[in-house]
Amino acid sequence: MANPPHMIAHRKSWNSWNTSNLDGGLRPSETAIEDVFIRKFMIGTWHALFVSEIIVKRQHNIIRIGGIIRRSISARKMYFLIGYTEELLSFWLQCPVKLELQTVQDKRDVIFKYI
Amino acid sequence: MFRLNNTSMFRSFFRAPLSTATEAIKSVEAAAVELDKLYKTVQIELRGNDPAVLTSFVKFATTAGNYLNVQSHSWHLRKPTHTRFTVLKSVHIYKKHRVQYEFRTYYSFISYKHLTESTASTLLEYIERNLPEGVALKATSVELQQLPEYLLEQDPEQFTDDSNKVSHV
Repeated sequence: MANPPHMIAHRKSWNSWNTSNLDGGLRPSETAIEDVFIRKFMIGTWHALFVSEIIVKRQHNIIRIGGIIRRSISARKMYFLIGYTEELLSFWLQCPVKLELQTVQDKRDVIFKYI
Repeated sequence: MFRLNNTSMFRSFFRAPLSTATEAIKSVEAAAVELDKLYKTVQIELRGNDPAVLTSFVKFATTAGNYLNVQSHSWHLRKPTHTRFTVLKSVHIYKKHRVQYEFRTYYSFISYKHLTESTASTLLEYIERNLPEGVALKATSVELQQLPEYLLEQDPEQFTDDSNKVSHV
């Protein structure tokens, strides 16, 4: 986040990993819109919990959503949210969706430098 | 993913269920007689946005081939393909100030030599399942086939081994 866009592939990496924008890639616009939708849905569902960017990775027909969240809600609520997110997103996008979340105690843990 | 292999799935789906046990045994015997196909080469084309991911995957795939005693070698295209599109930096006016976006596609190739059908399917399955995100794979295989009967009947001498004749020249 501290690096500008032209540093992609130099100092930082992509937030969406898919093959749509390669030569001969299929459905680039749909993939982009779906990724935006996934990000909006995740931010709204996991409200004020994400402390990193949301990474969307597509392999075959699976969508894997990664990110770092805060441990500010109970584990029981978190399990509910995971099931809820996976169920709804896989119904809307018509493919298996998996969440790969990591947690931190405090949101200051993911700050590396101040600029 | 470019390689589609749905035929076997459809075949099993549309086939009527076997009625008796003897029929089942017969079909198993027929399957046992069926010989493995031979592949001269299986070439894999990889495309990706990140050259580091591609080189790492190529290393993995060639190592997997070497462990199965398959001759494998790999190469890269020297230059990536750039797809650029240029838009105005500002929303409305200031035509002199543009911003340029670019998609790069890096290409890598792996070629496996002299495989049987079972080896090829195992190897491809293993590689495809471990394909990283953001990498597209296209597999092209060249199958060896026997010379057709009617060609042999026409002029058999034409297809005999020429190695003895060459020594005279």
